[in-house]
Amino acid sequence: MRITLAQIVPRLGDVEANVDAHLEVLEKARKEKSGLVVFPELGLTGYTLKDLVGEVALDPASDPRLRRIVARTKGLSAVVGFVEESPAEQGLFYNAAAFIADGRILHVHRKVFLPTGGLFEEAKIFAPGRDFRSFRTPFGRVGLLVCRDFLQLGSSYVHYAAGADMIVCVSAAPGRGVAGGGDAFETSRMWELMGEAVSYFSTAFVVYVNRAGSEDGVMFAGGSFIFAPGGRLVVRAAPVGPEIVSCRIDLSAVRTARRAWLFKRDEKPEAIWRSLERIVRASED
Amino acid sequence: MPPKINAAFVEKVLVAFIRDEFGRCGCAKAVLGLSGGLDSAVSAALAARALGPARVLGLIMPYGRAFPEEVRDAAAVARRLGIRTKTIDIAPPIDLYFAAHPTASRVQRGNKMARERMSILYDHSAREGALVLGTSNKTELLIGYGTVYGDLACAINPVGDLYKTQMRELAAHLGLPAAVRRKAPTAGLWPGQTDEGDIGLPYEELDAILYDLVEGRKTRREAIRSGHAAAAVDRVLRMIERSGFKRALPPIAKLSIRSVGHDFLYPYDRSR
Repeated sequence: MRITLAQIVPRLGDVEANVDAHLEVLEKARKEKSGLVVFPELGLTGYTLKDLVGEVALDPASDPRLRRIVARTKGLSAVVGFVEESPAEQGLFYNAAAFIADGRILHVHRKVFLPTGGLFEEAKIFAPGRDFRSFRTPFGRVGLLVCRDFLQLGSSYVHYAAGADMIVCVSAAPGRGVAGGGDAFETSRMWELMGEAVSYFSTAFVVYVNRAGSEDGVMFAGGSFIFAPGGRLVVRAAPVGPEIVSCRIDLSAVRTARRAWLFKRDEKPEAIWRSLERIVRASED
Repeated sequence: MPPKINAAFVEKVLVAFIRDEFGRCGCAKAVLGLSGGLDSAVSAALAARALGPARVLGLIMPYGRAFPEEVRDAAAVARRLGIRTKTIDIAPPIDLYFAAHPTASRVQRGNKMARERMSILYDHSAREGALVLGTSNKTELLIGYGTVYGDLACAINPVGDLYKTQMRELAAHLGLPAAVRRKAPTAGLWPGQTDEGDIGLPYEELDAILYDLVEGRKTRREAIRSGHAAAAVDRVLRMIERSGFKRALPPIAKLSIRSVGHDFLYPYDRSR
């Protein structure tokens, strides 16, 4: 299967222009016979929204702009980041990512862990999601994560325990740290290291798509990547600036890795569950 | 000292930043004050690479003939980069003002000159349809070594997160003239003034202390324990504390339910 990583520069606060940019990438990917196109976190809105959040929010079930994208996924899949506001929860905004396949939204993941502090103020503008749920797709079971979700150790575990063949993380991660003379931001190394590690732990594909460009002086660090099960780097995009990369992956690598490494067979989610339950009970007031 | 940077990577990031910002506001030209010093030379070089040298205007704004070397070095930088320049003598308006309102304070005179220059830069911003590019580095911003609404004012600042010692690394990478890279840094408020004389610490020591306090998040005690002189650490801490107002927008007295500066919050960079 061919995957396209769309390391794009969204326009802040301009949903129409971003929808057009997404459609353009989708069309190109279709011509290349891509099976999956992954766009970054908040790709339809830009990241530094502050009070713009209410102006760019949309209902995935009915919004005509998102429907334009959904309609153009005949024969392929896409992951699209946006601000979700559903009619059932007016005035609540979620940092969301939708998995769309063959003209249908299969799943919407709402970012659970909202970084707030220092550079970040997501909990000031977003409501938190409360669930990690993987789902079946035309090419296997997928678990979605949004940026910071991936840095919380348990999130990937839940997808792994549920049998995900692929963990897809969409991101708007700023580059931080130029000390030490590397040719990428220091934080890019952290993402890649954790992606590689999770591909070992989970014996699944890890697909990470970060955005590029800058907003209010913050540079987004690109560096999108795919790790095949067992820490094999398949592709890596530029550390600065936009780049659309596409590459083939061999989905049978999951089976091969799980025969070589028996982590998944030997996993005991019930032992983890019981231990967690005890810990959670003990921490309750 | 702060750790070494990869100057080629930093250049790439800052050139992309300048292009992003200028592209967003539909502005193709930059104007900045060229003092003959290292910081404005680095800013000018980055702008020249991002926008093309013909789209960068360096204003050389001496006070009469008080700083002949600075004027010479500023012109050398402009020649090296191939950017346009214009020289404007600020002595007439400055002398006129101080003839009417004399002062014995050279700091006060220097600050007035810095604001005169910024007023000329903003006028040229309008004349040229250009954005004013900032030249204040991280060391200056942290200790408040700059004139508020003078040299600290700008539309965007590409170099404000680089310590002075890192600016030197970037300047060498950008191939700026050795005369500009090697001379003693000066705010140019009066002849013979040097930054290090004013601040009372060499930049290497100052940057090393700042790096430990800011990036390293060390306390006073930890900074001293890691080898810095107590008097120097105290001096730096005092400078940071006293200059906070130069790094923030002025507070607006909040009265309403939703107020500018408090909870009417929009990004600077909304696409237009």
